[in-house]
Amino acid sequence: MGYANSDHGNAAPLAVKILIAGGFGVGKTTLVGAVSEVAPLRTEEYLTHASVGVDDLEGVGAKSTTTVALDFGRITINRDIVLYLFGTPGQERFWFMWNDLVNGAMGAVVLVDTRRLEVSFASIDFFESRGIPFVVGVNCFHGVKDRTPEEIRRALDLDPQVPLAFCDARDRTAGRDVLLTLIDHLMAARPRTTAHPVA
Amino acid sequence: MKHWTEGFEDDDADEPLVRPYTITGGRTAPERDDLTLITLVTAASEVSSEAGRALRRMQPEHRTIFALCKRPLAVAEVASALNLPVSVTKILIGDLIEAGQMRARPPLAFAQAGGFPDMAILEAVRDGLRKL
Repeated sequence: MGYANSDHGNAAPLAVKILIAGGFGVGKTTLVGAVSEVAPLRTEEYLTHASVGVDDLEGVGAKSTTTVALDFGRITINRDIVLYLFGTPGQERFWFMWNDLVNGAMGAVVLVDTRRLEVSFASIDFFESRGIPFVVGVNCFHGVKDRTPEEIRRALDLDPQVPLAFCDARDRTAGRDVLLTLIDHLMAARPRTTAHPVA
Repeated sequence: MKHWTEGFEDDDADEPLVRPYTITGGRTAPERDDLTLITLVTAASEVSSEAGRALRRMQPEHRTIFALCKRPLAVAEVASALNLPVSVTKILIGDLIEAGQMRARPPLAFAQAGGFPDMAILEAVRDGLRKL
């Protein structure tokens, strides 16, 4: 093993992050895998009292530790920017507390399955309450569009400003297009005045 | 003659044999709070001979991280490659940064609530995605 010079003197690129959320089994990892340049990677984190740090958990007896696993992928945008896609873990009540996962996300795609819309309610509520911009991707398994966008919006009680797009999470182009919908939404939602970065 | 490992149940093959916090010497929280899942870390291209000796005294995991990060990797990628929890990985990366063997580039800080990325970055991401 050498510690001597090797050719990586350039500064590291800038990393940005998009969350792929939604309930259990809606195709989050499938979408990450479809657009990622590497096979989805898996990592895990221990969440304990101490690392949670959001709510006052008084009254909760023992200090408990939970292991939460997530899958993520990466897209090299250009020489200077790398985009990471994080599929949120299935158990919402845990990843909602994982600040490091949520903080610094550009925005989120909430995937829904029309046969089980309710499994994605919690994700929508979460991003709405945190003020994190998101779009809804309706995952059409086998190309079946059995509900109209209006029906889905009504069932999700979706803010009219939030874009909704149909996609097939297995398809690279369709997955990419959902991400583009999010980027367009971020551009449109961007306030006129320059927002200062949150440190 | 039977080898001592014979007869071991292999049920837990996915579980690391060493409890993760043994690797960190019992530390459970990173000393640095500036490492995030997507902080990009890179091995320093030049390490003083003193730091090189220090690296040899560290855990094998430290050396693995150092070797992996010849090119910039996100903390999450390092954790995934080592099959260690993110918090444990952060402690080890923190050691390497502390010892001057790695550099970290924090991600763009924005969008807790109401923050928006720079238009130039959004445009670059859009253009990059279109090329996929």
